[in-house]
Amino acid sequence: MKKSLLALASSLLLSLPLQVSAATEVTWWDFLGGGDGVRMKSLIEQFNSSHPDIKINASTLEWGVPFYTKIQTSAAVGEQPDIMTYHLSRFPLAVPSGVLRPFSAAELSSVGLGPDKYFPANWEAANIGGKTYGIPLDIHAMVLYYNKDMLGKAGLLGSNGLPKLDGIANFTSGLKKLKANGAEYGVSLHTAGGSSVWRLWYSMFNQMNGAQFMSGNQVCPTDHCEKVTSQIKSWIDDELMSSETEYPDSIALFTSGKAAMHFNGVWEVPTFTDLAKNNKLGFEWGAVRIPVMYDKPATWADSHAFAVPHSDRKPISQEKLKAVLEVIAWMNKNSLFWATAGHIPGYKPIVDSADYKKMEPNATYAVLAENAAFDPKSKIAGVASPIYDSMQNFIVPSINGQLDPAEAIEMMKETLEPQIE
Amino acid sequence: MKYKREEVLYAVVLVAPFVVAYLLFLIYPTIYQLTLSFQKAPLIGPGEWIGLDNYVKLYNDKLFWRALRNTGVFVLWTVVPNTLLGLLFAIMVIRHRPLLQAIILACFFVPHILPVTVVTDMWTWLLSKQFGIVQEVLDYFEIKRISFFTSRNWAMPMVAFITIWWTIGFNIVLFIAGLRNISPELYEASDIEGATKFQQFRYITWPLIWPVTALVLTLQLIFQMKIFDQMYLLTGGGPFNSTLVILQLVYNKAFQGNDGGYAAAISFVLFVIILLTSVLQYQVLKRQDD
Amino acid sequence: MSHRISNFLLSALTAIFAVAWIFPVYWAIATSIKHEVDVTAENTALLPTDVTLHEYVRVFQESNILTWYVNSFGTSIIITIIVVVISMMCGYALSQLNFPGKQLLWWMVLASIMVPTTALVIALFVLVADFELINSWAGIILPQVISPVCVVVFKQFFDAVPRELREAAIIDGAKEYQLILKIYFPMNLGITTALAIVTYIGAWNQFWWPFIMTTQEEMFTVTIAISSVQDAFGVRYAREMALTVLAGFPVAAGYLLFQKKVTNALMMTSGIKG
Repeated sequence: MKKSLLALASSLLLSLPLQVSAATEVTWWDFLGGGDGVRMKSLIEQFNSSHPDIKINASTLEWGVPFYTKIQTSAAVGEQPDIMTYHLSRFPLAVPSGVLRPFSAAELSSVGLGPDKYFPANWEAANIGGKTYGIPLDIHAMVLYYNKDMLGKAGLLGSNGLPKLDGIANFTSGLKKLKANGAEYGVSLHTAGGSSVWRLWYSMFNQMNGAQFMSGNQVCPTDHCEKVTSQIKSWIDDELMSSETEYPDSIALFTSGKAAMHFNGVWEVPTFTDLAKNNKLGFEWGAVRIPVMYDKPATWADSHAFAVPHSDRKPISQEKLKAVLEVIAWMNKNSLFWATAGHIPGYKPIVDSADYKKMEPNATYAVLAENAAFDPKSKIAGVASPIYDSMQNFIVPSINGQLDPAEAIEMMKETLEPQIE
Repeated sequence: MKYKREEVLYAVVLVAPFVVAYLLFLIYPTIYQLTLSFQKAPLIGPGEWIGLDNYVKLYNDKLFWRALRNTGVFVLWTVVPNTLLGLLFAIMVIRHRPLLQAIILACFFVPHILPVTVVTDMWTWLLSKQFGIVQEVLDYFEIKRISFFTSRNWAMPMVAFITIWWTIGFNIVLFIAGLRNISPELYEASDIEGATKFQQFRYITWPLIWPVTALVLTLQLIFQMKIFDQMYLLTGGGPFNSTLVILQLVYNKAFQGNDGGYAAAISFVLFVIILLTSVLQYQVLKRQDD
Repeated sequence: MSHRISNFLLSALTAIFAVAWIFPVYWAIATSIKHEVDVTAENTALLPTDVTLHEYVRVFQESNILTWYVNSFGTSIIITIIVVVISMMCGYALSQLNFPGKQLLWWMVLASIMVPTTALVIALFVLVADFELINSWAGIILPQVISPVCVVVFKQFFDAVPRELREAAIIDGAKEYQLILKIYFPMNLGITTALAIVTYIGAWNQFWWPFIMTTQEEMFTVTIAISSVQDAFGVRYAREMALTVLAGFPVAAGYLLFQKKVTNALMMTSGIKG
C-alpha cells in the first residue's frame, strides 16, 4: 500500500511539470450562467482531459454590459482572453469598433470549419464585409415553460397534451383561468430586466403583420411598438404576470408553483430538467414555442458564437490561435451535449443527427427555428446595445406601470434615432 | 538657514518613497487627465487636440446636467440625515454602561467595516420583490409590494438609506468622542436649575458638539459626492437615468463608450467641485480652531 | 419615578434600533445556513430550523474563492505595509529633520488630503496600462500606497515627543539611524498598529479601483469578485449569502477583535483636529 502510494506520488510529480510545460494555455471568457454554465464547464473539462497539449483556463463573468465592457477594456490594454463567447446579434456593433479579430478562410478550413456546416442565416450573421468574425455555436430562443398539472386543471391542454393558447384573447383568458385555478400568476417573466423583456416584446412584435422595428433612420415608425407595450402592461396591471421581477425570482416563482407558466430562454431547460430529476420540482413541466398571439408565428432568437478579440497592443500568437481553432472545432463537433442546455446547435451535422432529433423538450419547440426573429442588423442592436439600454430605461418602467407606453416609445425614439446616424 | 549635510541626506532617503509615489500617482495623473480633457481621444492610445470642445459639449449635454443634479440630490438625501441620525444614536448609546455601550455600538458599527459589495448583496436579498423579508413586512401591513431599485420614486432614497445604514457607525463614533468631551458638571448644574432634557440639549449639547457636527457634515459631503459603488451595484443608473451619477457617467463614457477625452473632462469637473468643497471645509474648520 | 420610566423607554428604543440595524447582517448569515428550498418557501422563519453548511461547501468547491482570498489578503497586506512604512518615514523626516523644501512638502501633503483620487481613475488606468500592470498585484497596490493622512498622524505623533530626548541621545553619540530604529519607531507601536488596521480594512473594502483595473477573474479580489462573477445556478440566494458572508468575514472579525483600536484609529485619521 505504502509503496503504491509512493509510486503514485512520484509518477504524479514526474508527470505534472511535463504536462504543464507542453500544454498551450488558452484563456477563455464566457458569460454563461444557469444550466448553460454547468454544461459548458463540463464540456471544457472534457476538452482538457482529452487534449493534453491544450489547457483551457475558463472564467465566467457577469452577462451583458459588464462582460462586453471588460472585453473592450482588456483588448485596449492587451489583456484580452484568447477566445470568448459573443452574441451574433452584437456583431454589427462590435465589428466597426474593431474588437473582433477576423478568421481567414485558410484558418477555418485547417480545422474543417466552413459555411457549408452552418445554417445560411447564422453564418451570414457572423460575416461582415466579406470577413468571418466568429463561429456560431448555437441558436437560442425564448420559449414558454408550463406547469402541466396547473394547465390541465385549468383545462388549457389540448388532446395532444400541449397547451392551447394561440391568439391574444385566448392567451389572456388562459392566464385568467390559471389565476382562477389557484396560481398566483398566470405567467412569470424577468420583468425587471430589459434583456428578458426585449425577448418577449420582440417576439410578439414580430408576430404582427406590418410591424418593423427600424426603417431608415426611424425607430418604431408604426404604432405596433406601443401596442405590444400596452399588451404586456395590461397583463401586469391585472396581476396575470409578475411585476418588477428579478431574474432568479422569475424562475423561483415558476419552480415553487406560484406561477403556472414562465417565459424564458431555452437555456433554463437544464434547470428544470435537473430539478425534476432530483424530485425537487413538485409538478410535471414542459416547454413549447411561444404561442402565436397575433397574425403569424415568430420567436426572438440569437446565437452564441466563438470569437477572438482583436488587440493592437498584443495580438494573439500563431500558437494560441491554432489551439483556439482546435477548441472551436471540437466544441462545435461536440455540441450535442450543449443542446442538452436547450439550445439548437449551430453546427448542422449535429442538428441532422438522429440523437438530436429525439432530444426533448428540444424536439417540441424545434419548429420555432423556422420563424426565428433575430435582432435588427444595426449598430444600435444586439446584447448590451443601445436598444437593450432603452428597453431597460423606458419599456421596463412602462410595462410595470411607471411610464405611459406612448411616452415610453417616444423617449425610446428620441434616444435611439440620433445614434443610428 | 544652514542645513547639516548628513541630516539632509537622511531626510532625502526617508521622504523619497513617499515623494516618488506622490509624483507618480497623484501629480502626474492630475496633469495627464487635465490634458486628456482637451483631446478627442480613446481610453488608450493617442488623441487629437480639440481645445475646449469637450467642455462645450459637456455644457450642452443634458445627461451631464442630469448626472450632476442626481449627484446633488444623493448628497442631500445622505449628508444631513446621516449627520443628525448619527448624533441622535450617539446620544442614545452613550447613556449606557460600558459593556452594553460596546455591544450596541458594535451593532451600529459593523456595517461600516463591510465591503460595499457585501452591503449591496445583503440589501438586494432583503428587498427582493418576490422573496425579500422586507416585502413580507409590507404584506403584513397590507401595503403593496415595492420594487425599490426599479421604481422612480424609491430608487434614489433607498440607495441613500442603505448608504446611511452602511456609514453611520463612523459618525456615531465621532459624536461619542465629542460628547465625552463635554463636562458632566454642565449637565449637573443645569439639573439643579431645573432645566428640561430638551433645554439641556438645545443650550449645552448642541452648541458644544457643533465643531464635531461641522466636521462630520463636511467629511460626509466630500465622501458622498464620490458616489458610484452602491449606485452602480444596486440601480446601475436606472430607472430612466434617475439615479445616474457623475462617476457612473465617467465610467460609461470611458470604459463602455471608449471616449477617454470626454470622460476626462467630466471627471475633471467633479475633481474641481470636490477640491473647492475641501478648501471650504478647511476654512470652516480653521475658523473653529481660532 | 417618571425619570426611571423614561430612562427605561429610551433604553428599549436604543435596543430596538440597534437590533434593527444589525438585522440585515443577521439575516444574511441566517439565509446562508438554510437549505435553498427553504429560502424561497412560504412563511419565512426568523430562526433557521434545519441548519446546513452545504452552501458554504459549494462555494468553496465551485468558485475560485480561494484565489480571490489570496488576492485580497495579499494586496491588502502589502498595501498596509507600504503605507505604514513610507508614511512613518516621511512623517519622521517632516517632524525631526531639517532639509530644504520641507515646508513645501508639508504643504503638498496637507493639500493632497483634499485631492479626490477617485476622479483620477482614467489617468491612473492609462498609467498602469502603460507600465503593463493591468491584472497584476502591483497594479492594484501602487495607486493605493499614498496616504497623506497617515503622514500627518505620524508627524504629529513625532512632534509630541520632547526635543530633549533627541538631544540627549545625540550627546550620547547616537547616530540618526539608531535614533530612528531604536527610539522613535518602536515608541509608536500603538499608533502604527491602529493605522495598519484601518489601512488594511480600507484596502480590503476597496471596490472602485480593482473593479476598473482587473479584467481577469483570477486577479479579482473577494470584494469585486462577489459582484462580477456569474453564478452557475438560477435560484441561489442561500449560496449568494454564503459567499457574501465569506467576503465580509475577515474584516468583520478583525473589527470585533480590535474594536477599540479600530475606532480610535478612525478618529485619528478622520482629522478630528487634523
